[in-house]
Formats: sequence, C-alpha cells, structure tokens
Amino acid sequence: MSDFDLDRLGDVWRQQPDPAEMERLQRTAIAVARRARLAAIVDVCAAVAVAAVVIVLVITNPNMQTLVMGSAAILVLLGSNIRLRRLRQVELMGLTGTTEDMLDQSIARVETTLRHHKFTLFAAPFVLIGSWLGFATAAAPRPESIFGMLREIPGFRPILFATAMAALVALAIFLIVSIRRGRRELNRLNAMREAYRQERDSSAP
Amino acid sequence: MPPFERIVAEYGPLISRIAMSYEADPTLREDLTQQIFLAVWQALPSFRADSSLKTFIARVAQNRSISFVTKQVRQPRLAELPERLEADTLNPEEEAIELNEREMLLAATRRLPLPQREVIILVLEGFSYPEIAEMLDIAPNALALRLSRAKSALKSMLEHK
Repeated sequence: MSDFDLDRLGDVWRQQPDPAEMERLQRTAIAVARRARLAAIVDVCAAVAVAAVVIVLVITNPNMQTLVMGSAAILVLLGSNIRLRRLRQVELMGLTGTTEDMLDQSIARVETTLRHHKFTLFAAPFVLIGSWLGFATAAAPRPESIFGMLREIPGFRPILFATAMAALVALAIFLIVSIRRGRRELNRLNAMREAYRQERDSSAP
Repeated sequence: MPPFERIVAEYGPLISRIAMSYEADPTLREDLTQQIFLAVWQALPSFRADSSLKTFIARVAQNRSISFVTKQVRQPRLAELPERLEADTLNPEEEAIELNEREMLLAATRRLPLPQREVIILVLEGFSYPEIAEMLDIAPNALALRLSRAKSALKSMLEHK
C-alpha cells in the first residue's frame, strides 16, 4: 500500500457526520459539560455547608468535646477533598500523557484496588465476629435506651445476626466479583503494555 | 481558549471517529463518546498550547478510549456503522461504495494491535509524522517502522475482507 492509498483512505475516514449527527454530538457534549459544572458546584456547596454546620455547632456549644469533634470533622472533610483533588490530577496526567504512561498508571491503580479488595475480603469476617463478640459481652444497655427497647423485641438477636450474615455474604460476593473483574482488566492492561513493549523493542536501533 | 461549544463543533467529528475506532457497539460507543467529552472538558484547563488543540484533544480521546476498552470484559464486536454520510456530491451507488469502504476500514482498524491502531488512526486523521512522534513519545524511525507494520496489516485485512 502506498502513501497515496493511505491519503485516499484518510479522505474516506474523515467524512463529516451529517447535520443531524453533528446536532446530536453537540447536544451530548453540552449536557455532559452542564452535568460536570453542576457536580463541581454541588461539591463546593456540600463542603461549605458541612463546614458551616460544624462551625455553628462549635459556636453554640463551646466546650472541649464539640471543639475536638468539630475540628476532626473539618480535618476529615479537608483530607477527603485533598485526596479527591490528587486523584483527579493523577487521572488528568494519565489522560494528557502518552498511552504507555497511562497504561502504567492504570496498572498501578488496578493492582492497588485488587489489594484493597482482597484485604477487605479477608478482614471483613474478623471485623464482624469482633463486633458481634463486643456487642454480646458489653454491659446490658439501659431499658429506656433504644438498644434496651430493641433487645426486648422477641427474636431481635437472631434477626440482627441473620441481617449481619446476609450483609457479609453480599459484601463477599461483591468483592469476589470485583476481584475477578479487576483481574481481567489487569490481564488486558498487561497485554496492552506488553504489546507496546514489544513494539518498542522491535523498533529499537 | 475557545468556548467548549465551539471546540465540540470543530473537533466533535474527530472525537466521534476515535470513539468509533475503539468501540463497535453503538450503546457502549455513546457511553464512550460522553466519557471523552467529559475528559476533554476536565482536561482543557491544563492545555498549555505547547501543542495544537487538535493534538491535545486527540491524545485525550485516544487515552480515554483505551482505558474504556480495557474495562470491557468481552471482545470488541464488529457492529454495523449507523452514521450516514453526507451525500451532497455522491450518487447513491457511489455513496454505498464509500459507506461500505468506510465500514470495512473501521472494522479493519479495530482489529489492529493497539500500538499500530493508534498510529493508523492519527495518520488517517491527517496528523503530520512529527506530530504523531511527539504525541506517542517515540523516535521518528520507530514511528516509521510501526506505521509500516500497521499499513501492511491493514492492507492485508482490507484485501482479505
């Protein structure tokens, strides 16, 4: 195939969409941009609202306990915002960098997610058993408290146990499915990375 | 920086073609197109004009498409091309031939290995070789070799269609 043929194929390739298709693309893009702008505004408003509520609570109840809890809440909010911003920056670097850099970042991200999922799958039963033991051995709640009233309901404990077990099973299924999906994604990413490596090696001088 | 709406008017077809060359399923392609628009919208503030805006958008679109296809568990399927082509200068017979040729070209492109597909798409989009070498961060001779392989693979697929 000569360059001339590729030029002609380029002309075929670059055929413009018809006006209706262009209109649809425009509508889609504008809707996406509007949603993204709205999400950014909601993020800022939510952070401002939470911070304002915490500050009002601290001012109206000026004691050490509310001060500590309020400071902790604001620190958590700040921390999660900073983490989110860093994640977006990493994602942006992946989008605007080379494909190989993007693949390396994606591989690192999927491996980290898989490690987290495996750890959660391993740790969840122990957390549940620990919580159950703590709940069972704790001092009996006062009869007028919510827990005290709940304990008086016949069959409350078996229902609570069954609900906790169902939640554990659902979490385990979700994690197993996520791990399998993550492994498939990792295999595909590694295969793509390998394809680039081979391409580079074979064209090295 | 032109407003987002004008960028879409100018580069929307480029984004649409890149999405088409990575995703054959129309529903998933719509999803991918939306993700590319969102990625472009998010990435635009980081555009520093050290390359052309077209190069920047093509890079974002390619990277988003590649990360999108890695998340798909099934193999890419060769779907029909729903988009109609402008028929101002073509009679129905010529239009059918060209549409068929474009479908075959798209299907063949989707079957290329990723590094070769990336190069072919950029060449078909009309980027110059120095621009492509810069976008892919490879030496000009490595690009020439990759392009040569991609062309022969594409030729073989189009001939055996």
